[in-house]
Amino acid sequence: MPRGEPMKDESGGGEQRSVGRGLDWLNLFVANIQTGFGPFIAVYLTTQGWTQTAIGLALSVGTVAAMASQVPAGALVDAARRKSLAAGLSILAFTLSALIFALWPVPLFVYLAEVLHGFSSCTLGPAIAAMSLALAGRASLGLRLGRNARYASIGSGIGAALMGACGYYVSNQAIFYLTAVLTVPALLALLPLSHLDDWRGREEIARPPQPTPVLTLLRDRRLLIFAGCAMLFTLANAGILPLASTYLTKRLGAGASLMIAACIVLPQIVVAVLSPQIGRLAEMRGRRRAMLLGFLALPLKALLFVVVTNPFAMVLVQGLDGLAAASFGVMVPLITSDVAGRSGHFNLSLGMIGLAIGIGGTLGTPLAGWLADGYGGAAAFGGLASIGALAFLLVWGAMPETRPAEASVP
Amino acid sequence: MGSQRFIVGAARLAISASALLMIVHGAAAQLSGTTGAPGGGVGEVPAAPHSDTTPPVNVEEFEPGTATAILGKRVRDAAGKDMGMVVDVLVDREGKVRAAVIDFGGFLGVGSRKIAIDWDLVQFNPDNRDAPIVLALNRAQVQAAPEYKPGAQAMKIVAPPPTPERSATAGE
Repeated sequence: MPRGEPMKDESGGGEQRSVGRGLDWLNLFVANIQTGFGPFIAVYLTTQGWTQTAIGLALSVGTVAAMASQVPAGALVDAARRKSLAAGLSILAFTLSALIFALWPVPLFVYLAEVLHGFSSCTLGPAIAAMSLALAGRASLGLRLGRNARYASIGSGIGAALMGACGYYVSNQAIFYLTAVLTVPALLALLPLSHLDDWRGREEIARPPQPTPVLTLLRDRRLLIFAGCAMLFTLANAGILPLASTYLTKRLGAGASLMIAACIVLPQIVVAVLSPQIGRLAEMRGRRRAMLLGFLALPLKALLFVVVTNPFAMVLVQGLDGLAAASFGVMVPLITSDVAGRSGHFNLSLGMIGLAIGIGGTLGTPLAGWLADGYGGAAAFGGLASIGALAFLLVWGAMPETRPAEASVP
Repeated sequence: MGSQRFIVGAARLAISASALLMIVHGAAAQLSGTTGAPGGGVGEVPAAPHSDTTPPVNVEEFEPGTATAILGKRVRDAAGKDMGMVVDVLVDREGKVRAAVIDFGGFLGVGSRKIAIDWDLVQFNPDNRDAPIVLALNRAQVQAAPEYKPGAQAMKIVAPPPTPERSATAGE
């Protein structure tokens, strides 16, 4: 296959195949690593004798850092000539961050680790998306993103199982050593991807000769509507799992841990199975169809939680989250690429969508808690379902089809 | 109503992380500021700027196994099942410790639940640093406990069953 042309079929040339494999593994290990930086940090700092107030402050530092980094980090990745280097440095920042958590859990260093992790998350995501775009080209990006989401969810599932076991059998601190160790295979997976930096044709996709002015791009109606949809989606979605998990703990006591683990892992399995189909659907039948599917699954899931109280049935309902997450995970980079892929500001645009998602996610969990405290669990799930339905209606009524005319699937 | 209204989350008082020592065997409490671990000897007494006028800091020693820090310590129920960990302590207006806040359940930090348990129902074992804290409650009682929520409203604390002398003093 000629070098200047994005390939349509990853089973093609040997180099492309090894790059594709590298990207698969990279997605898997990065998702693996990110599991360690989740809500678990609060548990770990508690075992280190931190007060709830201090933990809240540290987590807020991380949230603010991640939100403030989204757009600048995107611009930085746009400017970086070597996306694989940007990804490599981000992963090294994860290594450092994990080691700081394990070795020096004192406020100043924890703040530093939170900022480091927040910022490098904002460079790594766009860098992976940019490399995917360079590898697959716009015409078959959907398929590539479907694969990315599949491997990322396998990584999250394995990460949750591995770190849950590590915390249970070894120690909470060991989870951060494990996280640091897992950055090594992530870096190794990145090695074949350094070829991408030399591919002239891909370079033109990511950095065209005449970039669109940023303001023109950020005023693009499609991008703004999509940012609104994405924000409403996470606003409704972020609080559902914590709320459902809290109800499981209320019903089952300390024994709920296993059910909550199932609530986290089952959707990952569903994502792993469905993501490639979603990517294919988006390429063949259009983005809107693939998007509406996921945006319908979200309010449906929330509504079912209003009536379902049996713990096993709750886990099954949470499986619907897999459909929503698969669609959302593929659509965010795909639609951004449709709109901004050739503008020279792809990563900046991803950062903007990331900021919208961050705002929704940050407000979503306290919103769910506030609704549940004030009006009870059923009303809370009902309220979240309404927000999800609003997101669905916004996609249905306002989001235009963004699939490029030349897109086709062999 | 009683004194519960005046119970303040310990975090709001400036009790720093890991600094809270519990009182055992009648020893007086102290904050383990810069002097190191409990029972770890006298440590350095900070040099006062005007040593001739300011009396030196009075240092009291806790022998090993007489006191322990409790934030982040594992908790078990009466049957020995894991019940999460101590995340906070509630004190009343007099500074007397009234309840321990326990966080339990959840997976990797998702979906845990906080309950406050009367200090009398919490048993400590400072002799063994690795020994968990034990609640005088069984699993069903812990599950039935109301969730602890700090805030303007009355905080719900799991209290010991009423005994004649207790209910007599509680009515004041």
